[in-house]
Amino acid sequence: MANETNTNASGRNSEKRPRRRFNTRYVRKPRYCQFCSDKTLVIDYKNTTLLRKLTTEEGKIRPRRQTGTCAKHQRAVAREIKRARHIALLPFTGGTWEEKIR
Amino acid sequence: MHHYELVVIIHPDLDDEAIEQALDKIRTWITNNGGSIDKIDKWGKRRMSYAIQKQNEGIYYLLDISMPPTSIAELEKNLVILEPVMRHMIVAK
Repeated sequence: MANETNTNASGRNSEKRPRRRFNTRYVRKPRYCQFCSDKTLVIDYKNTTLLRKLTTEEGKIRPRRQTGTCAKHQRAVAREIKRARHIALLPFTGGTWEEKIR
Repeated sequence: MHHYELVVIIHPDLDDEAIEQALDKIRTWITNNGGSIDKIDKWGKRRMSYAIQKQNEGIYYLLDISMPPTSIAELEKNLVILEPVMRHMIVAK
């Protein structure tokens, strides 16, 4: 008898647990393009400190979903990163990796 | 006349005289083709992100130039041949 009530109670509890309508563990940050909101920020191949933030440690261009830049500015970012790579201001591939080899 | 930015990476082992000679050559190529140099910005010796011609450093120069677009191709051809220049890039402004 006692056992039965226990199982019932636990059963009720599990029913009472609020059902997740959507995944609450992941809360999306509000997206905004840093270049749209700050017009003074110029995307330029000489500005390596800015471009380094927009590349991964391996030297890849960060996708839009990570940086939040809009499509228009992402195209400009990609262009300027490629220019910076050409004159060796940015690495084509992992700066850290290459130094380990040496 | 259009405005361009020219970035030149010069070999790091050269002395000042050789660098000046190379820059003089670039200067004459630009002015002879009806262009002009608005500004020369010396960034100096910088560590490059990857080795070019087995060198880890390079001497960077940034030239602001204005030139008729038809003679840019010729300037580019000359820069490829010029020995002390390891890498160059022309960007329209």
